[in-house]
Amino acid sequence: MTDTKTPEEIESIIESIRPCFQCGICASSCPVFRVAPEINPRHAIDEIVKTGVIEPDGTEWSCAYCLMCEQRCPMGVSLAHLLVAVKNISTEKGNAPEGLPEIIHSILSTGVIAQDSDLDKMREKYDLPPLKRPTAKEVRKVLELTGATDLLELYQSKGVGSD
Amino acid sequence: MKYAFFPGCTMAYRLPFVEKSIRLVAPHFNIELVDLPFTCCPEPNSVRSFSDETWLALAARNLALAEKSKLDVLTACTGCHESFMTAKHELDTHPDRKDAVNEVLGEIGMEYTGVSAVKHMHQVLFDDIGPEAIAEKVKRPLELRVVTHSGCHMLRPEAILQIDDCEAPVKFDGLVEVLGIEPLEYMDKTMCCGTGTRRANREASFAILREKMTSMKMVNPDAAVVFCPSCFISFESGQRIVNKTFGTDFKLPVYYYTELLAVALEIPGMVPIIKAHRVKGPVTASAPGVPGEGRPVEAKN
Ligand code: SF4
Ligand code: SF4
Repeated sequence: MTDTKTPEEIESIIESIRPCFQCGICASSCPVFRVAPEINPRHAIDEIVKTGVIEPDGTEWSCAYCLMCEQRCPMGVSLAHLLVAVKNISTEKGNAPEGLPEIIHSILSTGVIAQDSDLDKMREKYDLPPLKRPTAKEVRKVLELTGATDLLELYQSKGVGSD
Repeated sequence: MKYAFFPGCTMAYRLPFVEKSIRLVAPHFNIELVDLPFTCCPEPNSVRSFSDETWLALAARNLALAEKSKLDVLTACTGCHESFMTAKHELDTHPDRKDAVNEVLGEIGMEYTGVSAVKHMHQVLFDDIGPEAIAEKVKRPLELRVVTHSGCHMLRPEAILQIDDCEAPVKFDGLVEVLGIEPLEYMDKTMCCGTGTRRANREASFAILREKMTSMKMVNPDAAVVFCPSCFISFESGQRIVNKTFGTDFKLPVYYYTELLAVALEIPGMVPIIKAHRVKGPVTASAPGVPGEGRPVEAKN
Protein backbone atom coordinates (compact mmCIF):
# COMPACT_ATOMS: atom_id res chain seq x y z
CA MET A 1 0.00 0.00 0.00
CA THR A 2 1.49 3.31 -1.10
CA ASP A 3 -0.35 5.26 1.54
CA THR A 4 1.19 4.09 4.77
CA LYS A 5 3.18 6.80 6.49
CA THR A 6 6.84 5.97 6.88
CA PRO A 7 8.51 6.42 10.29
CA GLU A 8 10.38 9.41 8.80
CA GLU A 9 7.11 11.01 7.77
CA ILE A 10 5.63 10.48 11.22
CA GLU A 11 8.79 11.91 12.78
CA SER A 12 8.62 15.01 10.59
CA ILE A 13 4.96 15.55 11.49
CA ILE A 14 5.79 15.32 15.19
CA GLU A 15 8.73 17.70 14.67
CA SER A 16 6.39 20.21 13.06
CA ILE A 17 4.11 20.38 16.10
CA ARG A 18 6.90 20.53 18.68
CA PRO A 19 6.83 24.38 18.92
CA CYS A 20 3.42 24.06 20.63
CA PHE A 21 3.61 25.55 24.14
CA GLN A 22 0.06 24.56 25.14
CA CYS A 23 -1.43 28.06 25.17
CA GLY A 24 -4.87 26.72 24.28
CA ILE A 25 -5.74 29.32 21.63
CA CYS A 26 -6.52 26.50 19.21
CA ALA A 27 -9.05 24.97 21.60
CA SER A 28 -10.70 28.29 22.40
CA SER A 29 -11.05 28.93 18.64
CA CYS A 30 -12.44 25.49 17.84
CA PRO A 31 -16.19 25.30 17.09
CA VAL A 32 -16.29 21.61 17.99
CA PHE A 33 -14.65 22.21 21.37
CA ARG A 34 -17.22 24.96 21.97
CA VAL A 35 -20.09 22.46 21.86
CA ALA A 36 -18.27 19.22 22.73
CA PRO A 37 -15.45 20.03 25.19
CA GLU A 38 -14.29 16.40 25.23
CA ILE A 39 -12.75 17.14 21.82
CA ASN A 40 -9.74 19.35 22.37
CA PRO A 41 -7.08 20.03 19.72
CA ARG A 42 -4.61 21.21 22.39
CA HIS A 43 -4.83 17.86 24.20
CA ALA A 44 -4.48 15.97 20.93
CA ILE A 45 -1.19 17.75 20.24
CA ASP A 46 0.07 17.31 23.77
CA GLU A 47 -0.59 13.58 23.62
CA ILE A 48 1.38 13.16 20.39
CA VAL A 49 4.33 15.30 21.49
CA LYS A 50 4.52 13.51 24.84
CA THR A 51 4.22 9.96 23.56
CA GLY A 52 6.00 10.40 20.22
CA VAL A 53 3.40 8.28 18.44
CA ILE A 54 0.25 9.09 16.51
CA GLU A 55 -2.45 6.88 17.95
CA PRO A 56 -5.85 7.88 16.52
CA ASP A 57 -8.62 7.48 19.12
CA GLY A 58 -11.57 8.31 16.87
CA THR A 59 -12.02 11.92 18.00
CA GLU A 60 -9.95 13.08 15.01
CA TRP A 61 -13.02 12.59 12.83
CA SER A 62 -14.97 15.17 14.82
CA CYS A 63 -12.72 17.92 13.47
CA ALA A 64 -14.78 20.03 11.08
CA TYR A 65 -11.66 21.12 9.15
CA CYS A 66 -12.58 24.78 9.67
CA LEU A 67 -8.87 25.70 10.00
CA MET A 68 -9.43 28.31 12.72
CA CYS A 69 -6.99 26.57 15.09
CA GLU A 70 -4.10 26.74 12.70
CA GLN A 71 -5.00 30.28 11.65
CA ARG A 72 -4.70 31.53 15.22
CA CYS A 73 -1.85 29.41 16.55
CA PRO A 74 0.87 31.84 17.66
CA MET A 75 3.54 29.21 17.00
CA GLY A 76 2.51 28.48 13.43
CA VAL A 77 1.63 24.90 14.18
CA SER A 78 -0.28 23.46 11.23
CA LEU A 79 -3.03 21.50 12.91
CA ALA A 80 -4.75 20.88 9.60
CA HIS A 81 -1.70 19.05 8.34
CA LEU A 82 -1.54 17.05 11.54
CA LEU A 83 -5.22 16.23 11.51
CA VAL A 84 -5.11 15.00 7.92
CA ALA A 85 -2.22 12.72 8.88
CA VAL A 86 -4.12 11.42 11.92
CA LYS A 87 -7.22 10.78 9.80
CA ASN A 88 -5.14 9.00 7.14
CA ILE A 89 -3.63 6.71 9.78
CA SER A 90 -7.06 6.11 11.25
CA THR A 91 -8.35 5.20 7.78
CA GLU A 92 -5.55 2.67 7.32
CA LYS A 93 -6.55 1.05 10.60
CA GLY A 94 -10.08 0.57 9.28
CA ASN A 95 -11.61 3.33 11.37
CA ALA A 96 -12.92 5.74 8.73
CA PRO A 97 -16.39 6.89 9.73
CA GLU A 98 -19.51 5.46 8.21
CA GLY A 99 -20.24 6.94 4.81
CA LEU A 100 -16.67 7.85 3.93
CA PRO A 101 -15.76 4.65 2.02
CA GLU A 102 -19.07 5.05 0.15
CA ILE A 103 -17.93 8.48 -1.04
CA ILE A 104 -14.65 7.06 -2.33
CA HIS A 105 -16.63 4.30 -4.00
CA SER A 106 -18.89 6.88 -5.64
CA ILE A 107 -15.87 8.72 -7.02
CA LEU A 108 -14.39 5.43 -8.24
CA SER A 109 -17.54 4.54 -10.16
CA THR A 110 -18.75 7.96 -11.36
CA GLY A 111 -15.88 10.39 -10.81
CA VAL A 112 -18.11 12.54 -8.64
CA ILE A 113 -20.00 12.47 -5.36
CA ALA A 114 -23.53 11.79 -6.50
CA GLN A 115 -25.69 8.80 -5.76
CA ASP A 116 -27.63 8.15 -8.93
CA SER A 117 -28.13 9.18 -12.52
CA ASP A 118 -31.52 10.70 -11.69
CA LEU A 119 -29.61 13.70 -10.44
CA ASP A 120 -29.10 14.82 -14.02
CA LYS A 121 -32.91 15.04 -14.17
CA MET A 122 -32.80 17.75 -11.51
CA ARG A 123 -30.37 19.65 -13.71
CA GLU A 124 -32.69 19.30 -16.70
CA LYS A 125 -35.45 20.93 -14.67
CA TYR A 126 -33.39 24.11 -14.67
CA ASP A 127 -32.33 23.71 -18.25
CA LEU A 128 -28.75 22.92 -17.30
CA PRO A 129 -26.49 20.76 -19.47
CA PRO A 130 -25.52 17.34 -18.09
CA LEU A 131 -21.97 17.72 -16.82
CA LYS A 132 -19.16 16.08 -18.70
CA ARG A 133 -17.74 13.13 -16.79
CA PRO A 134 -14.23 11.69 -16.84
CA THR A 135 -13.75 8.16 -18.14
CA ALA A 136 -14.08 5.48 -15.46
CA LYS A 137 -10.74 4.06 -16.56
CA GLU A 138 -8.66 7.14 -15.80
CA VAL A 139 -10.32 7.71 -12.42
CA ARG A 140 -9.70 4.08 -11.45
CA LYS A 141 -6.08 4.38 -12.53
CA VAL A 142 -5.48 7.41 -10.31
CA LEU A 143 -7.18 5.77 -7.35
CA GLU A 144 -5.23 2.55 -7.87
CA LEU A 145 -1.86 4.23 -8.16
CA THR A 146 -2.42 6.29 -5.03
CA GLY A 147 -3.57 3.41 -2.84
CA ALA A 148 -7.25 4.32 -2.55
CA THR A 149 -8.56 1.14 -4.16
CA ASP A 150 -6.49 -0.99 -1.74
CA LEU A 151 -7.86 1.00 1.17
CA LEU A 152 -11.36 0.63 -0.19
CA GLU A 153 -10.94 -3.15 -0.32
CA LEU A 154 -10.24 -3.10 3.38
CA TYR A 155 -13.67 -1.58 3.93
CA GLN A 156 -15.40 -3.67 1.29
CA SER A 157 -14.32 -6.79 3.12
CA LYS A 158 -16.36 -5.31 5.96
CA GLY A 159 -19.31 -4.96 3.59
CA VAL A 160 -19.00 -1.29 2.80
CA GLY A 161 -19.43 0.34 -0.58
CA SER A 162 -19.68 -2.90 -2.55
CA ASP A 163 -22.25 -3.29 -5.29
CA MET B 1 -12.97 36.33 -19.68
CA LYS B 2 -13.15 32.60 -20.34
CA TYR B 3 -12.93 30.08 -17.49
CA ALA B 4 -13.11 26.35 -16.97
CA PHE B 5 -16.18 26.34 -14.75
CA PHE B 6 -16.09 24.08 -11.72
CA PRO B 7 -19.50 24.06 -10.00
CA GLY B 8 -18.55 21.10 -7.79
CA CYS B 9 -20.63 18.03 -6.93
CA THR B 10 -22.76 19.70 -4.26
CA MET B 11 -23.87 22.58 -6.42
CA ALA B 12 -24.23 20.54 -9.61
CA TYR B 13 -26.30 17.74 -8.14
CA ARG B 14 -27.95 19.16 -5.04
CA LEU B 15 -28.41 22.86 -5.80
CA PRO B 16 -28.62 23.04 -9.61
CA PHE B 17 -30.82 26.14 -9.32
CA VAL B 18 -27.92 28.01 -7.72
CA GLU B 19 -25.65 26.90 -10.55
CA LYS B 20 -28.27 28.22 -12.94
CA SER B 21 -28.09 31.66 -11.29
CA ILE B 22 -24.33 31.75 -11.95
CA ARG B 23 -24.82 30.78 -15.58
CA LEU B 24 -27.51 33.47 -15.93
CA VAL B 25 -25.32 36.17 -14.38
CA ALA B 26 -22.04 35.29 -16.15
CA PRO B 27 -22.72 36.76 -19.62
CA HIS B 28 -23.70 40.10 -18.07
CA PHE B 29 -20.11 40.42 -16.87
CA ASN B 30 -18.49 38.97 -19.98
CA ILE B 31 -17.67 35.73 -18.21
CA GLU B 32 -17.67 32.71 -20.49
CA LEU B 33 -18.02 29.32 -18.80
CA VAL B 34 -16.48 26.20 -20.34
CA ASP B 35 -17.46 22.72 -19.07
CA LEU B 36 -14.74 20.09 -18.83
CA PRO B 37 -14.90 16.41 -17.73
CA PHE B 38 -13.81 17.09 -14.15
CA THR B 39 -13.94 14.66 -11.25
CA CYS B 40 -14.92 15.66 -7.72
CA CYS B 41 -12.44 18.38 -6.67
CA PRO B 42 -11.88 16.16 -4.45
CA GLU B 43 -13.49 17.12 -1.20
CA PRO B 44 -10.84 17.49 1.55
CA ASN B 45 -13.03 16.33 4.41
CA SER B 46 -13.68 13.02 2.76
CA VAL B 47 -11.08 12.22 0.13
CA ARG B 48 -8.11 13.96 1.74
CA SER B 49 -8.97 12.43 5.10
CA PHE B 50 -9.10 9.02 3.43
CA SER B 51 -5.87 9.40 1.47
CA ASP B 52 -3.77 12.51 1.09
CA GLU B 53 -2.07 11.05 -2.01
CA THR B 54 -5.37 10.35 -3.77
CA TRP B 55 -6.64 13.82 -2.93
CA LEU B 56 -3.54 15.48 -4.36
CA ALA B 57 -3.49 13.39 -7.54
CA LEU B 58 -7.20 13.91 -8.33
CA ALA B 59 -6.94 17.66 -7.71
CA ALA B 60 -3.85 17.78 -9.95
CA ARG B 61 -5.73 15.90 -12.66
CA ASN B 62 -8.52 18.49 -12.63
CA LEU B 63 -6.05 21.35 -12.76
CA ALA B 64 -4.10 19.62 -15.54
CA LEU B 65 -7.34 19.32 -17.52
CA ALA B 66 -7.83 23.11 -17.32
CA GLU B 67 -4.19 23.59 -18.28
CA LYS B 68 -4.74 21.49 -21.40
CA SER B 69 -7.50 23.88 -22.46
CA LYS B 70 -5.32 26.87 -21.49
CA LEU B 71 -7.92 28.09 -19.04
CA ASP B 72 -8.01 29.29 -15.45
CA VAL B 73 -10.50 27.54 -13.18
CA LEU B 74 -13.55 29.32 -11.80
CA THR B 75 -14.91 27.77 -8.62
CA ALA B 76 -18.30 28.38 -7.03
CA CYS B 77 -17.96 26.31 -3.87
CA THR B 78 -15.58 27.33 -1.11
CA GLY B 79 -14.80 23.67 -0.36
CA CYS B 80 -13.66 23.03 -3.93
CA HIS B 81 -11.78 26.31 -3.91
CA GLU B 82 -9.84 25.51 -0.75
CA SER B 83 -9.12 22.01 -2.02
CA PHE B 84 -7.68 23.28 -5.33
CA MET B 85 -5.72 26.12 -3.77
CA THR B 86 -4.23 23.92 -1.05
CA ALA B 87 -3.36 21.19 -3.56
CA LYS B 88 -1.83 23.75 -5.90
CA HIS B 89 0.23 25.18 -3.05
CA GLU B 90 1.37 21.69 -2.05
CA LEU B 91 2.38 20.85 -5.64
CA ASP B 92 4.02 24.19 -6.39
CA THR B 93 6.10 24.24 -3.20
CA HIS B 94 7.04 20.53 -2.98
CA PRO B 95 8.79 19.42 -6.19
CA ASP B 96 9.02 15.85 -4.86
CA ARG B 97 5.25 15.63 -4.43
CA LYS B 98 4.70 17.22 -7.83
CA ASP B 99 6.99 14.63 -9.44
CA ALA B 100 5.19 11.79 -7.70
CA VAL B 101 1.82 13.12 -8.83
CA ASN B 102 3.01 13.60 -12.39
CA GLU B 103 4.18 10.01 -12.45
CA VAL B 104 0.58 9.01 -11.71
CA LEU B 105 -0.87 11.50 -14.20
CA GLY B 106 1.58 10.29 -16.85
CA GLU B 107 -0.26 6.95 -16.76
CA ILE B 108 -3.41 8.69 -18.00
CA GLY B 109 -1.59 10.94 -20.45
CA MET B 110 -1.70 14.11 -18.36
CA GLU B 111 0.72 16.45 -16.65
CA TYR B 112 0.39 19.13 -13.99
CA THR B 113 2.63 22.17 -14.49
CA GLY B 114 0.83 24.80 -12.39
CA VAL B 115 0.08 27.42 -15.02
CA SER B 116 -3.69 27.61 -14.51
CA ALA B 117 -4.89 29.92 -11.75
CA VAL B 118 -7.91 29.10 -9.58
CA LYS B 119 -10.42 31.81 -8.73
CA HIS B 120 -13.61 31.75 -6.74
CA MET B 121 -16.68 33.58 -8.09
CA HIS B 122 -16.35 35.93 -5.10
CA GLN B 123 -12.88 37.01 -6.26
CA VAL B 124 -13.93 37.54 -9.87
CA LEU B 125 -16.86 39.69 -8.74
CA PHE B 126 -15.01 41.73 -6.11
CA ASP B 127 -11.40 41.87 -7.29
CA ASP B 128 -11.75 41.70 -11.08
CA ILE B 129 -15.11 43.28 -11.83
CA GLY B 130 -15.45 45.36 -8.68
CA PRO B 131 -18.42 46.57 -6.61
CA GLU B 132 -18.65 49.88 -8.54
CA ALA B 133 -19.10 48.14 -11.89
CA ILE B 134 -21.75 45.87 -10.34
CA ALA B 135 -23.56 48.87 -8.81
CA GLU B 136 -23.86 50.43 -12.26
CA LYS B 137 -25.84 47.44 -13.49
CA VAL B 138 -28.30 47.24 -10.59
CA LYS B 139 -31.86 47.98 -11.71
CA ARG B 140 -33.77 47.07 -8.58
CA PRO B 141 -32.07 47.68 -5.27
CA LEU B 142 -33.12 44.99 -2.80
CA GLU B 143 -34.06 46.59 0.46
CA LEU B 144 -32.98 43.82 2.76
CA ARG B 145 -30.93 43.49 5.93
CA VAL B 146 -28.74 40.41 5.77
CA VAL B 147 -25.92 38.58 7.46
CA THR B 148 -23.15 37.36 5.18
CA HIS B 149 -21.29 34.11 5.83
CA SER B 150 -18.08 33.89 3.80
CA GLY B 151 -17.46 30.33 4.97
CA CYS B 152 -14.35 28.72 6.44
CA HIS B 153 -12.78 27.81 3.13
CA MET B 154 -13.26 31.22 1.58
CA LEU B 155 -11.16 32.64 4.42
CA ARG B 156 -8.76 29.93 5.57
CA PRO B 157 -5.94 29.07 5.13
CA GLU B 158 -5.59 32.83 4.78
CA ALA B 159 -1.96 32.83 3.58
CA ILE B 160 -2.78 30.49 0.69
CA LEU B 161 -6.23 31.75 -0.29
CA GLN B 162 -5.62 35.48 0.19
CA ILE B 163 -9.24 36.38 -0.47
CA ASP B 164 -10.06 38.56 2.52
CA ASP B 165 -9.06 39.24 6.12
CA CYS B 166 -9.84 35.97 7.82
CA GLU B 167 -10.79 37.48 11.19
CA ALA B 168 -12.65 40.52 9.88
CA PRO B 169 -13.79 39.96 6.29
CA VAL B 170 -15.33 42.99 4.54
CA LYS B 171 -15.45 42.18 0.83
CA PHE B 172 -18.59 40.02 0.88
CA ASP B 173 -20.43 42.80 2.74
CA GLY B 174 -19.22 45.22 0.06
CA LEU B 175 -20.70 42.98 -2.64
CA VAL B 176 -24.14 42.85 -1.01
CA GLU B 177 -24.13 46.60 -0.26
CA VAL B 178 -24.04 47.51 -3.95
CA LEU B 179 -27.28 45.56 -4.40
CA GLY B 180 -28.97 47.99 -2.01
CA ILE B 181 -28.72 45.48 0.84
CA GLU B 182 -27.61 46.37 4.34
CA PRO B 183 -25.00 43.90 5.67
CA LEU B 184 -25.19 43.43 9.43
CA GLU B 185 -22.21 42.86 11.69
CA TYR B 186 -22.66 39.88 13.97
CA MET B 187 -20.67 38.14 16.64
CA ASP B 188 -19.63 34.80 15.15
CA LYS B 189 -19.18 36.01 11.58
CA THR B 190 -16.12 33.90 10.79
CA MET B 191 -17.30 30.80 12.67
CA CYS B 192 -17.87 27.49 10.90
CA CYS B 193 -21.45 26.37 10.08
CA GLY B 194 -20.67 22.85 11.32
CA THR B 195 -21.05 21.06 8.03
CA GLY B 196 -17.52 19.61 8.13
CA THR B 197 -18.27 17.23 10.95
CA ARG B 198 -21.83 16.27 9.97
CA ARG B 199 -20.85 12.76 8.96
CA ALA B 200 -18.61 11.98 11.91
CA ASN B 201 -20.28 13.83 14.77
CA ARG B 202 -23.83 14.72 13.86
CA GLU B 203 -24.72 16.01 17.29
CA ALA B 204 -21.78 18.40 17.51
CA SER B 205 -22.31 19.55 13.96
CA PHE B 206 -25.88 20.68 14.61
CA ALA B 207 -24.88 22.20 17.94
CA ILE B 208 -22.31 24.31 16.05
CA LEU B 209 -25.01 25.35 13.59
CA ARG B 210 -27.26 26.32 16.52
CA GLU B 211 -24.48 28.53 17.95
CA LYS B 212 -23.82 30.12 14.58
CA MET B 213 -27.48 30.81 13.84
CA THR B 214 -28.12 32.13 17.35
CA SER B 215 -25.42 34.68 16.68
CA MET B 216 -27.00 35.57 13.32
CA LYS B 217 -30.45 35.90 14.81
CA MET B 218 -29.29 38.39 17.42
CA VAL B 219 -29.14 41.10 14.74
CA ASN B 220 -32.53 40.14 13.29
CA PRO B 221 -31.64 39.70 9.61
CA ASP B 222 -34.09 39.14 6.73
CA ALA B 223 -31.81 36.48 5.28
CA ALA B 224 -28.36 34.91 5.29
CA VAL B 225 -26.22 35.20 2.17
CA VAL B 226 -23.54 32.63 1.32
CA PHE B 227 -20.99 31.88 -1.39
CA CYS B 228 -20.89 28.10 -0.97
CA PRO B 229 -23.43 25.36 -1.71
CA SER B 230 -22.44 23.33 1.36
CA CYS B 231 -22.99 26.31 3.65
CA PHE B 232 -26.29 26.94 1.82
CA ILE B 233 -27.54 23.42 2.56
CA SER B 234 -26.16 23.54 6.08
CA PHE B 235 -28.17 26.65 6.91
CA GLU B 236 -31.30 26.05 4.86
CA SER B 237 -31.93 22.38 5.62
CA GLY B 238 -29.95 22.25 8.84
CA GLN B 239 -32.06 24.80 10.69
CA ARG B 240 -35.04 22.44 10.68
CA ILE B 241 -32.99 19.75 12.36
CA VAL B 242 -31.61 22.30 14.83
CA ASN B 243 -35.17 23.39 15.62
CA LYS B 244 -36.25 19.78 16.18
CA THR B 245 -33.21 18.90 18.24
CA PHE B 246 -32.85 21.99 20.39
CA GLY B 247 -36.35 23.48 20.40
CA THR B 248 -35.26 26.63 18.58
CA ASP B 249 -37.43 28.38 16.00
CA PHE B 250 -35.08 29.47 13.24
CA LYS B 251 -36.74 30.36 9.98
CA LEU B 252 -33.98 32.15 8.13
CA PRO B 253 -34.08 32.32 4.33
CA VAL B 254 -30.74 31.62 2.64
CA TYR B 255 -29.45 32.93 -0.67
CA TYR B 256 -26.33 32.30 -2.69
CA TYR B 257 -24.93 35.69 -3.73
CA THR B 258 -25.48 35.36 -7.49
CA GLU B 259 -29.19 34.69 -6.93
CA LEU B 260 -29.59 38.12 -5.33
CA LEU B 261 -27.33 39.63 -7.96
CA ALA B 262 -29.50 38.22 -10.75
CA VAL B 263 -32.68 39.53 -9.11
CA ALA B 264 -31.18 43.00 -8.59
CA LEU B 265 -30.09 43.05 -12.24
CA GLU B 266 -33.60 41.95 -13.27
CA ILE B 267 -32.19 39.06 -15.26
CA PRO B 268 -35.10 36.96 -16.58
CA GLY B 269 -35.42 33.32 -15.59
CA MET B 270 -35.11 33.74 -11.82
CA VAL B 271 -38.68 32.78 -10.87
CA PRO B 272 -38.14 28.98 -10.71
CA ILE B 273 -34.83 29.53 -8.94
CA ILE B 274 -36.29 31.59 -6.12
CA LYS B 275 -39.20 29.14 -5.96
CA ALA B 276 -36.80 26.26 -5.33
CA HIS B 277 -35.91 27.64 -1.90
CA ARG B 278 -37.24 25.63 1.00
CA VAL B 279 -37.37 28.50 3.47
CA LYS B 280 -39.38 31.12 1.62
CA GLY B 281 -37.79 34.52 1.79
CA PRO B 282 -38.68 38.15 1.11
CA VAL B 283 -37.17 38.22 -2.38
CA THR B 284 -39.39 37.76 -5.40
CA ALA B 285 -37.96 37.43 -8.86
CA SER B 286 -39.33 39.54 -11.63
CA ALA B 287 -41.09 37.79 -14.45
CA PRO B 288 -41.66 40.41 -17.12
CA GLY B 289 -45.29 40.58 -18.13
CA VAL B 290 -46.58 38.69 -15.11
CA PRO B 291 -48.61 41.06 -12.94
CA GLY B 292 -47.60 41.13 -9.33
CA GLU B 293 -44.20 39.55 -9.94
CA GLY B 294 -42.42 42.82 -10.46
CA ARG B 295 -41.96 44.00 -6.91
CA PRO B 296 -38.43 43.58 -5.65
CA VAL B 297 -39.18 42.92 -2.03
CA GLU B 298 -42.40 41.89 -0.38
CA ALA B 299 -43.35 43.27 2.98
CA LYS B 300 -41.72 41.03 5.52
CA ASN B 301 -43.56 39.17 8.22
S1 SF4 C 1 -2.59 27.39 19.55
FE1 SF4 C 1 -0.66 26.46 18.84
S2 SF4 C 1 0.78 26.72 20.53
FE2 SF4 C 1 -1.26 27.13 21.36
S3 SF4 C 1 -1.90 25.12 22.20
FE3 SF4 C 1 -2.69 25.23 20.12
S4 SF4 C 1 -1.12 24.24 18.83
FE4 SF4 C 1 -0.16 24.72 20.82
S1 SF4 D 1 -9.84 22.64 12.14
FE1 SF4 D 1 -10.77 21.09 13.47
S2 SF4 D 1 -9.59 21.17 15.39
FE2 SF4 D 1 -9.13 23.05 14.24
S3 SF4 D 1 -10.57 24.57 15.04
FE3 SF4 D 1 -11.53 23.66 13.23
S4 SF4 D 1 -12.77 21.95 14.00
FE4 SF4 D 1 -11.33 22.55 15.65
